[in-house]
Amino acid sequence: MNAGAVDTSRAASAASPVLRAEGLHMAFGGIVALNEVSIDVRADELVAIIGPNGAGKTSLMNCLGGFYRPQRGRILFSGEDVSGHGVHQLARAGLARTFQGTHVFPGLTVLENIMVGRHMHMRASIAQAFMHFGAASAEESRHREVAEEIIDLLEIESIRHQPVGSLGYGLRKRVDLGRALAQEPKILLMDEPMAGMNTEEKEDLARFVIDVREARKIPVVLVEHDMGVVMDLADRIYVLDFGRLIAEGPPAEIQRDPHVIKAYLGERDQ
Amino acid sequence: MDPAGVYATSYSADSALVRTRAQAICLVVFLALLVAAPFVVGPRLLAISTVMLISSVVAVGLQINTGYAGQINLGQAAFMGVGAYAAGWLATRFGMPFWLTIPLGGCAAAVFGFIFGLSAVRIKGFYLALTTIAAQTLFHFFFLNLPWFGGSNGLQLEPATLFGFAFVSDRSLYYLCLVVTVIMTFGAYGIARGRHGRAFVAVRDDDVAAGMMGIDVVRTKATAFLVGAFYAGVGGALWAYFVRFVAVDQFTLFHSIWFIAMIIVGGMGSVTGALIGVFVIKAMQETFVTLGPSFVELFPGLGGELVFALMNVFLGGVIAAFLIFEPRGLMHRWNIIKRSYRMWPFPY
Repeated sequence: MNAGAVDTSRAASAASPVLRAEGLHMAFGGIVALNEVSIDVRADELVAIIGPNGAGKTSLMNCLGGFYRPQRGRILFSGEDVSGHGVHQLARAGLARTFQGTHVFPGLTVLENIMVGRHMHMRASIAQAFMHFGAASAEESRHREVAEEIIDLLEIESIRHQPVGSLGYGLRKRVDLGRALAQEPKILLMDEPMAGMNTEEKEDLARFVIDVREARKIPVVLVEHDMGVVMDLADRIYVLDFGRLIAEGPPAEIQRDPHVIKAYLGERDQ
Repeated sequence: MDPAGVYATSYSADSALVRTRAQAICLVVFLALLVAAPFVVGPRLLAISTVMLISSVVAVGLQINTGYAGQINLGQAAFMGVGAYAAGWLATRFGMPFWLTIPLGGCAAAVFGFIFGLSAVRIKGFYLALTTIAAQTLFHFFFLNLPWFGGSNGLQLEPATLFGFAFVSDRSLYYLCLVVTVIMTFGAYGIARGRHGRAFVAVRDDDVAAGMMGIDVVRTKATAFLVGAFYAGVGGALWAYFVRFVAVDQFTLFHSIWFIAMIIVGGMGSVTGALIGVFVIKAMQETFVTLGPSFVELFPGLGGELVFALMNVFLGGVIAAFLIFEPRGLMHRWNIIKRSYRMWPFPY
């Protein structure tokens, strides 16, 4: 009887998505970047968004992340309507994002970059920081512990005190991921994490994404061009083409979907 | 990075300012020298040292706003002036003691600075620099024309007193400034290495990503202005008690530019750099002022006016040279030297 109750509650939580976009519509002048796009991201799944160039993947990502405001449609985050919320409000609600290219803070060390991710969980006021000893220092040590856990997870212990500006691209991406994890997000959006990487770096990062999911049990939304990575990592895939959702399903299905093949490879004229 | 054999056993030890025995010894010796200075140097050098201490407070504030948060501020002298006038006014009009007027002077400047911080929310770079020049102009206009501040005659102050002791002598004023400077500098280190300091740099380096981290970019920028102006105000209040006379022409755009020069020479984004910059620039200025007359004697044909004009040209040249050859300041150079010393004989 008890077991049954647990099962139903689990089913309910699986059914209500962590992040849901409903009928997003977004046009830049005459170009429709998103046309009535709806997606669901459920707890503990990795959802990939793919599509040819110009399909609207990044626009969708920017809508979910709060950078763009869709002209129609709404975004629900843990059941709450968050459309129109600012970027830092969304971050505080538990949404973290890694960037296409690198957006790490080059003037800070690796550790400090990750500690920036802790910023919103810290409370010390300017006056307490001025005094340093006492509250501010104790809080700093407490959050340092969390940051060190992430440093361990991402295997960047040896460079923790190096300024990020002096690091290579692959390591910067790892710091970017660590910084997002430090926010203790309820969902993680990753915008083309593999772009510009060589095979080895891609394998490394893919391994870290798997590790992170194992350790944190958070849903991940991945926008990615590298089909190998997507097919290996994703639980479910959404395919966009010209701003429209053309397919949705597990990787094996998507690979066989005639609409997807048509979108990527075109169709022979009859 | 640390020299070999230095390791921390707790997170707070790892973020401590003084990490090695050598650093601790240097700091103690340095502080001892500062305390002993009034008994060693003559009255003129003592006065210069006091001005250096006051400038340090102001420059450290500018370092937080411009060096850390990346907002160019050409109005730091105006913020300092607001602090000086506020402290002078509170002291003469209401007879407040200096331990109230100095922090309140800082607060007055912070409010004034905050208003300009709000404009920094929408503009950056050159446009922000122009807006802060407006602070300079507004300061000049208001304090010259408002009825409470003595107009062009300025404000005269009574000396600061504590339990019947009046800070009149050069030595006592030096110690007053030293204590305030040490407190403010320590506070700046605290702010710089905490969550606010990191947020300032984050907003400077990449405000989009900073927003994504849950940092309120608007608020952070305004806070940086507020803190920087508070420091300027405290410095201004000290100045008011040091000179015991406040007038608008003590805080001109020219002075603001010198504060910028100090943090450029010392190194952007480092509290220690600001202190070094103040020392180097002030020492250079004073050297020229001292050497100027003997220069005129050596070359009577040049005339006094030309020599003093050339001094400014030379000082400007030094700043330009720094921007070209050492744009990241002396602190950066020092870090490179320190690193290569620790790595020796390996190149990296």
